[in-house]
Amino acid sequence: MAEIVVLPQQGNSVEEVVLLDWKVAVGDSIAEGDVLCEVETDKATMEVESTASGTLLAQLADAGDEVPVKTAIAVVGEAGEDISGLDLGGADGGARTGSAAATSDATAGPAAPSPAEAPSTAAPAQAVGTTGPTGDHAVSPRARLRAAERGIDPTAVTGTGPGGRVIERDVLAAAANTTASARTAAAGGVDTGTGVGGRVTSADLAASTGRPAPTSGPGDVAPAAATEVREEIPVSGVRRVIADRMAASLRETAQLTLHASADARAVRGLRARFKASGEGFGLAGVNLNDMVMYAVVKTLADFPELNAHFLGDTIRRFRGVDIGFAVDTPRGLLVPTVRAAHGLSLAALSGRIKELAGRAVDGKAGQEDLAPATFTVTNLGAFGIERFTPVLNPPQVAILGVGGIELKAVETADGGVEHVPHMGLSLTIDHQAVDGAPGARFLQALSANIASFDLLLAR
Amino acid sequence: MPKSQIVDPKAVRTAQQLEIAPIPVNQYTPDIKAEKKTYGADTLTRVYYDMATIREFENMLNSIKMTGEWEGMEYTHGGPAHLSIGQESAAVGLALNLSIEDFFFGSHRSHGEILAKCYSAIAKLDESALQQTMEQYLGGDTLRVVEGDGTPKSVRDLAEDFVLYGTLAEIFARKSGFNRGLGGSMHAFFAPFGSMPNNAIVGGSADIATGSALFKRINRKPGIVVANIGDASSGCGPVWEAMMVAAMEQYQTLWDASVGGAPPIMFNFFNNFYGMGGQTAGETMGFRVLARMGAGVNPENMHAERVDGYNPLAVAEAVARKKQLLEEGRGPVLMDTITYRVSGHSPSDASSYRSKEEIEMWKDADAIASYRAYLLENKVTTKGDLEAMDERIREKLKKAMRLATDLSISPRMDGEEIAGYMFSGEKVEAFDDREPEVLMPLEDNPRVQQLAKKERFGIDASGKKVSKVKAFALRDGLFEAMIHRFYKDPTMVAYGEENRDWGGAFAVYRGLTEALPYHRLFNSSISEGAIVGSGVGYALSGGRAVVELMYNDFMGRAGDEIFNQMAKWQSMSAGVLKMPLVVRVSVGSKYGAQHSQDWSSITAHIPGLKVYFPSTPYDAKGMLNLALAGTDPVVFFESQRIYDIGEYFHEGGVPEGYYEIPEGQPDVKRAGSDVTIVTIGATLYRAIDAADTLQETYGMSAEVIDARFINPLDIEPIVESVKKTGRLVLASDAVERSSFLYSIAGTVGRVAFDYLDAPPVVVGSRNWITPAVELEDAFFPQAEWILDAIHEQIVPLPGHTVTTVQTNGELLKRYRGGV
Repeated sequence: MAEIVVLPQQGNSVEEVVLLDWKVAVGDSIAEGDVLCEVETDKATMEVESTASGTLLAQLADAGDEVPVKTAIAVVGEAGEDISGLDLGGADGGARTGSAAATSDATAGPAAPSPAEAPSTAAPAQAVGTTGPTGDHAVSPRARLRAAERGIDPTAVTGTGPGGRVIERDVLAAAANTTASARTAAAGGVDTGTGVGGRVTSADLAASTGRPAPTSGPGDVAPAAATEVREEIPVSGVRRVIADRMAASLRETAQLTLHASADARAVRGLRARFKASGEGFGLAGVNLNDMVMYAVVKTLADFPELNAHFLGDTIRRFRGVDIGFAVDTPRGLLVPTVRAAHGLSLAALSGRIKELAGRAVDGKAGQEDLAPATFTVTNLGAFGIERFTPVLNPPQVAILGVGGIELKAVETADGGVEHVPHMGLSLTIDHQAVDGAPGARFLQALSANIASFDLLLAR
Repeated sequence: MPKSQIVDPKAVRTAQQLEIAPIPVNQYTPDIKAEKKTYGADTLTRVYYDMATIREFENMLNSIKMTGEWEGMEYTHGGPAHLSIGQESAAVGLALNLSIEDFFFGSHRSHGEILAKCYSAIAKLDESALQQTMEQYLGGDTLRVVEGDGTPKSVRDLAEDFVLYGTLAEIFARKSGFNRGLGGSMHAFFAPFGSMPNNAIVGGSADIATGSALFKRINRKPGIVVANIGDASSGCGPVWEAMMVAAMEQYQTLWDASVGGAPPIMFNFFNNFYGMGGQTAGETMGFRVLARMGAGVNPENMHAERVDGYNPLAVAEAVARKKQLLEEGRGPVLMDTITYRVSGHSPSDASSYRSKEEIEMWKDADAIASYRAYLLENKVTTKGDLEAMDERIREKLKKAMRLATDLSISPRMDGEEIAGYMFSGEKVEAFDDREPEVLMPLEDNPRVQQLAKKERFGIDASGKKVSKVKAFALRDGLFEAMIHRFYKDPTMVAYGEENRDWGGAFAVYRGLTEALPYHRLFNSSISEGAIVGSGVGYALSGGRAVVELMYNDFMGRAGDEIFNQMAKWQSMSAGVLKMPLVVRVSVGSKYGAQHSQDWSSITAHIPGLKVYFPSTPYDAKGMLNLALAGTDPVVFFESQRIYDIGEYFHEGGVPEGYYEIPEGQPDVKRAGSDVTIVTIGATLYRAIDAADTLQETYGMSAEVIDARFINPLDIEPIVESVKKTGRLVLASDAVERSSFLYSIAGTVGRVAFDYLDAPPVVVGSRNWITPAVELEDAFFPQAEWILDAIHEQIVPLPGHTVTTVQTNGELLKRYRGGV
């Protein structure tokens, strides 16, 4: 009679562990007390011992998987034994989805259970492995291709193919997930939408309002003894998405940040005049950030290499500019996009920015608002930040950080020194796609356009 | 089984004795007066010249093989050289009274026959015809090597050089050889002089020659056909099959008398008393005298006769008599032409199976020395003349050897060029200009009239399938293609088992009996080897043949003819021959292990065959039209399971007019986006069922592609589909192990590797015997198997319950177990 080996509780606060490595292969014999596998908690690496003797009939998780404690992790019994009838969900807390129904490869005859009989039917179920694992993080060639196109690490994706193989749909789901998450990061932790390809729709956002923050799970666990820890916040939901995206961005792109500053007198002067122009002109609301974005859009027309996506095998340059801009909202960072910004006047651009930002702040940003951009601007100038290193939003190849205005000592024509207000500009580029010199030339051109913004407007 | 002939129990049960007529043995008596009168001194002398030429040619090759040198010229010949030293007189005697319309088909030991037949033709043709033939052959490539050095004193002289060099260059695999070096010693031939293919398979020429004789008879072409085969080939089934086909009584009883009777075929056994080392008389056969075999074939004993092959004039005299019989339609003829191979079977033969004394006795009786003495004794020529001939022969052979061994003069083909000779790929509307012989206008044909009432698309306006009685079926598509070509090409014939009257075992030919005279559509003996082999001979002689194997399983009986003959002769002849032969092969079911196999994968493995396997009426008609318009050999598979199926895919149904399916193009029977299912044969319909379930139950869209062709096959459309779907399942009724589907799977896996979301999965029949019909569902791929394979290997189908084990472990286990 086959026995189920349950992953023991690993310390009070641990709910999940990461399975590092199986020490016993399916089909090998194992004695009670033998080390079955190695797992890692947030604090330590531990060995899991078998609680049964016999032949290892099934491994119910793959290396790299997160496995909840107190769930079935392995089945030990007699070689060739049919374990399709085992209730693997019987252990505390329910079994991991999926490979729970695994049976030995050698099982002859139509004995494989349907996923419907498996303990979890969550779709897409990882279920039904009458086929054994195809190896650590087996990834289909097609999935690899798609992953490369979308800048995703396929080995970090959960596979739903036979034996847990990562197949195309897993990568597409992860891509949709990641994109949607980035767009809706602070909007309540919605990271899988109900729209096409898993896109987050506004309905998803609305539904997420009031969703309880992720907690530490069932069975209130006593706080850890260490007094210096004020609190432990599980990295999940929005935080998880941000963490993954930012880390992936830094891991998978070659980021180089260039700093410069632009003479801000022209934009400041115009800003003063706009403000004073009254409602009739419709320009009173145009602010410095709008003007910088306008200058960026116009400058990009001459620098197609920066208005592009890096897709691994190809670099996709765009004719028009969809310009994204970071908005700090009560829910966190959002990046709405002004579509077809290259066709807009300054006033129209400013109007769109206000409209999108407003909706983002109000939590009403829709899928359209959050469409992928071709170039992003982020502005921390209002916080007195002079320069910073913006993090790229792949597959975009560049992001402009706008700093505050500082006085800069400038040598005058007669050799004297003049203090001229300058605006800090920080351009992060993906050196995989764009070299330093073109990045610098863009920044130089942008600075010149900002310095002569009144002339730029006339173009 | 014609109704016009009654099998009367009273008659067949009557007691009686069979009387076997006497069979003549060595009845020729030399008579120099009569011989001089018949042939004249010049021809009698030329007989010596021809024999001595062959002897010297073979001695030369023997020296090259044994010592690597001849007349100061060094050469290493790695290939075969089966020499006929001792047998020259039989070959020359045989050719003496034959014209260029008379054909020789030969064996692996046929250098002598090539030279004898060609020299005989040279003596008979006028110089302008000779010159023209040489200039046109292979674009003059052979001629250019031998002409122009000033040594030939006449066109005939040049023609001799041409034949010696063309044959030798062929033996040495040179591009200017008679078959561009692609045939070699055992297959060399020169068709324009009536020297037809020589065959490295023992007895292989028997049924091919019979088909060539059928071609001559049916198309009323002049000349007889001689199958030169060895005494040991009398142990080969296809030789007997050929004799049975050649001796069918229907030529006399049922065929229109104007056709002229039986095919003019002579089975000439060059009886050298050995099959390699086995003695046919006394050891490996029981006939004692080979000519006795004729008594087992027909009341005429096949006009069998033993002839003394050591006297060329005895052979020539017999041939003259037999030729007349054959021209009168009274064949077949069997000749037991005794001779002796003084040389070994091959250079590796140490003659351990025969005594030195025996060889010495035959050397003492040497035909050439005896004939030389006979000529001198009877003052037909002088010693001086004969010595001058000997010298001339030697000089000619030195020239041939020098030219054929010089790589700068006689280069070999670049290996890559061979691909260009595998298929002829031509379109021929008709192989002759004459009006096709038919019995009624096409529109009066009862089947044609019946088909006019059928629904040519199998789905009616309401989306329901038309009943089988009303639907224009796959077998109807085949019929329309057949009758179309029958009314276009006068040379087209069809035969096999139950082809006439019955309409074919599966009613494909119903309606053809009414349309065609016997000599264009007939029943053959149950002789699968000879059915295909004669088809090969018919086709390479210039006619279009469609032969039928009632069950795929019977291909085993025609293995040599399919694999070695129909597949090889276009390329072995370097394109000199065409092979417009279609072998219709019916794939069965319900009838167990020897009547329900799909061997399309086996044919796929044989280079030189085209292999088609349609599975819809539209494709069946269009693909048979294609096969019947081409010049290449096609193995045309049909599945018995779907002869009655209507057309469900091609919009507008099966066109009434003529059309061809583009060769090698797979067809998307159903478009889809999530998984590609490729099928060959009737499994298409099970794949469609699987696709329906995928769509309805799992929301998965399957693209179903019918490969239709096995060779040639354009795999690119399949690759494109897989690039789209990322997933590939392949299914057919062929057993899984070594299925051709793996060739497609492997190719797609290689070409579209980065696009694959899962390994391509082959679903074939089990590696078992085909069981009884009640157990067939466990053997042939079912729709469920396809779903299970997708579920286990490609993408789990939520909620799917498998009924078969499609796991990798199971696959490996089956391979380990050999099942």
